[in-house]
Amino acid sequence: MTAQEKRNRACKKLLVDVHAITDKEGLTPSALHAIKLKLVALAGKKELFPLADFEMPVAEGRNHPLLVEDNDGHGLYLTIGLPGKEAAPHDHGIWCVNAAIAGRECHKFFRRTDGMTRPGHASVEQIAEVMVEPGTGMAMSDHDIHSTEVLGDEPAVGLALYGYALVRFPSVAWYQPQFGSIRTTPSRRHAAMA
Amino acid sequence: MARVKSHRLTIANTRQTIDCGTSQTILEAAIMAGIDYPYACATGNCGTCTSHLDAGTVSLLPRSDASLSQQQAKAGQTLACRARPRSDLTVTWLSRGGG
Repeated sequence: MTAQEKRNRACKKLLVDVHAITDKEGLTPSALHAIKLKLVALAGKKELFPLADFEMPVAEGRNHPLLVEDNDGHGLYLTIGLPGKEAAPHDHGIWCVNAAIAGRECHKFFRRTDGMTRPGHASVEQIAEVMVEPGTGMAMSDHDIHSTEVLGDEPAVGLALYGYALVRFPSVAWYQPQFGSIRTTPSRRHAAMA
Repeated sequence: MARVKSHRLTIANTRQTIDCGTSQTILEAAIMAGIDYPYACATGNCGTCTSHLDAGTVSLLPRSDASLSQQQAKAGQTLACRARPRSDLTVTWLSRGGG
C-alpha cells in the first residue's frame, strides 16, 4: 500500500469516527473535543503527510483537500501557512477542528461586545488563546470567533476539518477591531444544491 | 536624504487622492480617510478588496494563494488589504463585495 493509499484510508477512518461521535452526541462541546482528539491523533502520524506530497504555497497560505464528503458533508484539508500568514477575527458559521502536524499557529478567540444595532459596525474582545502546535489542536462551534497567525520561522502544517467543505461554506463574518467593523463574504451554500 | 514616510494614493473609483504611509496598506489609508473601499477579511484571505494597480509599485504582506492568483497578479491586480506603497499609486477596486 502506498503512502497516499494509507493516507486516504486514515482520512476515511477519521470521518467514520467523526460521524459515529456526532450521531451519538450531536455537535456538543464534548463531541467537538472528542473530534479534536481524533484529529490530533491523525496529525501525529506524520509519515502519512510527507510535505513532498503537497505543494507549498505560492504566496503564504494554501489548503489541500484530503477528503471532501459527498451529499454536503464535511471537508478535511491539509493546510500550510508560512510565517506571518494571518486571518483577522472571523466567524465561519460552521464548526471547525484543527490539529498541527508541524509549526505553530496562534489562535485567539473573541466575543462580540457591541449591541449589533449598527449595520457594518462591531466590536470584539479577546477571551482566550490557544497555540496549535504538534500534539495539540483546537475546536470551535458554528459561531465562535477566532483569529489565526503563523508564528516562528517554519511553516505551520496542519489538518483542518470543517462541518462543510470550503466550496460550500456559509457566509463568513469578518471583524476588524482596527476599523470597528464587520463585513461578510457571500455564502457558497448554493453550491450544496448544485 | 530624508526617508519617504508616505506616498500619494489615488483611488480611481472615487477620484480621491490621499496620503498612504509606507507602513500602511492601501485599505488602511482609504478607510482612515473615510473612503468606502470594499473589503471583508482585510488579511489577504477573501479577495474582496482585489484592485487593479493602475500605476505605481507595492509590496505585499502575507496572503493566501486563493485570494490572488498568479494570473491576477500578472494582470496587474493586487489586494488593497495587503499592499503597501513603494511609490505614488493609482488603484481601482474591482468589486463591490463585502457587507
